[in-house]
Amino acid sequence: MIKLQNVQKSYKLDEDIVFNALKDVNLQIKQGEFTSIVGPSGSGKSTLMHIIGLLDQPTSGSVFINGKEVSKLKDDELSSLRNTFVGFVFQQFNLINKLTVLENILIPTIYTRSRLSYDPVEKARYLLERFGLEMKERSFPNKISGGQQQKVAIARALIMNPHLILADEPTGNLDTKSGTEILKLLHELHEKEKITVVIVTHDPNIAATTRRKIEIKDGEIQ
Amino acid sequence: MSHFFFIIKSAFEDFSRNKGRTFLTSLGIVIGVLSVVILIAFGLGLKKYINDQFQSLGTNIIRIMPGQLLKGGSFSSTGSLSTIRFDSRDVTKLQRVKSAEYVIPIVTRSIAVSIGKGTEGATLYGSTADIFIALNLKARYGNIFTKSDVEKRSKLIAIGPKIAAKLFGTEEQAVGKNIKVENQNFKVKGVLEAKGGGGFGGPDLDSFIYMPHTTAQVFNPDKKFYAIIVKSKGDISIATAKQEIKTAMMKRYKENDFSVIDQAELLGAIESIFAMLNTVLVAIAAVSLVVGGIGIMNIMYVTVTERIKEIGIRRALGARKSDILWQFIIESVALSILGGLMGLGLAHGIVLLIQNMFPAYIDVNSVMLALGVSSVIGVIFGVFPAKKAADLSPIDAIRSE
Repeated sequence: MIKLQNVQKSYKLDEDIVFNALKDVNLQIKQGEFTSIVGPSGSGKSTLMHIIGLLDQPTSGSVFINGKEVSKLKDDELSSLRNTFVGFVFQQFNLINKLTVLENILIPTIYTRSRLSYDPVEKARYLLERFGLEMKERSFPNKISGGQQQKVAIARALIMNPHLILADEPTGNLDTKSGTEILKLLHELHEKEKITVVIVTHDPNIAATTRRKIEIKDGEIQ
Repeated sequence: MSHFFFIIKSAFEDFSRNKGRTFLTSLGIVIGVLSVVILIAFGLGLKKYINDQFQSLGTNIIRIMPGQLLKGGSFSSTGSLSTIRFDSRDVTKLQRVKSAEYVIPIVTRSIAVSIGKGTEGATLYGSTADIFIALNLKARYGNIFTKSDVEKRSKLIAIGPKIAAKLFGTEEQAVGKNIKVENQNFKVKGVLEAKGGGGFGGPDLDSFIYMPHTTAQVFNPDKKFYAIIVKSKGDISIATAKQEIKTAMMKRYKENDFSVIDQAELLGAIESIFAMLNTVLVAIAAVSLVVGGIGIMNIMYVTVTERIKEIGIRRALGARKSDILWQFIIESVALSILGGLMGLGLAHGIVLLIQNMFPAYIDVNSVMLALGVSSVIGVIFGVFPAKKAADLSPIDAIRSE
């Protein structure tokens, strides 16, 4: 489903200092996998996640999504892929505070160019109910707990029926109990709905719960 | 479509959250639209006022004046620099013109009138009794002077209601009273009906003093006339009448020595002056619209900076560059139109107040102009901040704090 070939990402820090965040990464993620990308901070795992999630482009090398090379896509096509193909879950939740919980979940649906086969509001309510948040529909994100916010973010990631859930340190800002709950939820989505999940984490305990583990250090896969 | 609806809705939710800022930002547009609309309303009112004044005098009035008064539809810059002056021979000659119904010589000058203590300035019209018919003037109290008054050189005057009220307290009291015109004693025979207005448009007809031109020769020893008014017969076209008058006058004078002007020409010339003045004023007011637009641009840049994270989130969730571009343009246009509507509402209120004194009014064109211009300003000054927002890299935007 996703293939990275000789992917390199470098940042120019100053006139002649170049920082290589990713060095010649080759990687393949198949449909239905539950994978963790694990490594210490500064290892390049976030950069790797941004490239997989089409938020960023490699300096060299190629990324293939379902056989299509991403660098050949226009910006609008990339936006559409982010809209329909990937669902993001961030460490900082990244909900928009001035929108209600329900409106946050619906954001991806207002940017879609294709006709949805379901009623987005109905689906959002179904997800809220499933996550036990049906009472919070009209609440604003800063008025609910971190664990609840992350569940809203997961609901938002699921609203477009994506092929892939990309979770960047999804438990990083949560207490242990909420963190465990979120992890359980991701596992459940993978098992019941066969969604491909990639978790980026620095925590070996979380990485230990996934079937596949990709370790990254200093921009290289170990 | 629901997407656009959502953006508009969220723009207005944003405004209601930031009421103070929204108001201050659109204040520039409010003031700009307000001043432009008010000035246009004034221009329209002025046009209507001048029109009404001329209508009330009748359209088949033709003025014969020395020199070239009008050139190419506007007042001539050289003015009436002519040496000729009309006299009774010209009046007699014009009386023979077939299309002329009334031929009325006019002697005019500024004079001082008094009734003992107070002195007032006024415009004197020395003429025949026909002037009242030609200019649609009727006596409200007392009477106008007659043909025989003119022949007898009676020291009688008919005065406008405004000057009557000024001198005597009420219009009614003026009738039959003695009055001093430049130290000569006269008797007020009648007070005329109000013609309305004064001030902006043209002469203040309600402050005029009319006396027989024969009597007025006291103030006008050379017996020359300032102008001659001809009222043409109703069934003859103004153009024909003017041509006949010209032909008659050219037996004595050269073509460039005198002008023959009808009401429409005079009206057109006066209007063109005011239209120009109004255009200049509106243009100056329009500058404040540009300033308002810059205010909106400024706050839109601030908004974009404040919401970089939100832009990043939206981009990550599938918003295209164009979606972000439109979101901010719509916000800027909504802000600008909001200002336009407030300005229009204020202008409407002020015009309603003004209407007690002056026939200013807001027409459909002003409303369309106000809304059109404010949307255009919203687009022009919104597009740069919106472009900045749209061109942000998704990854940089979402990582910003």
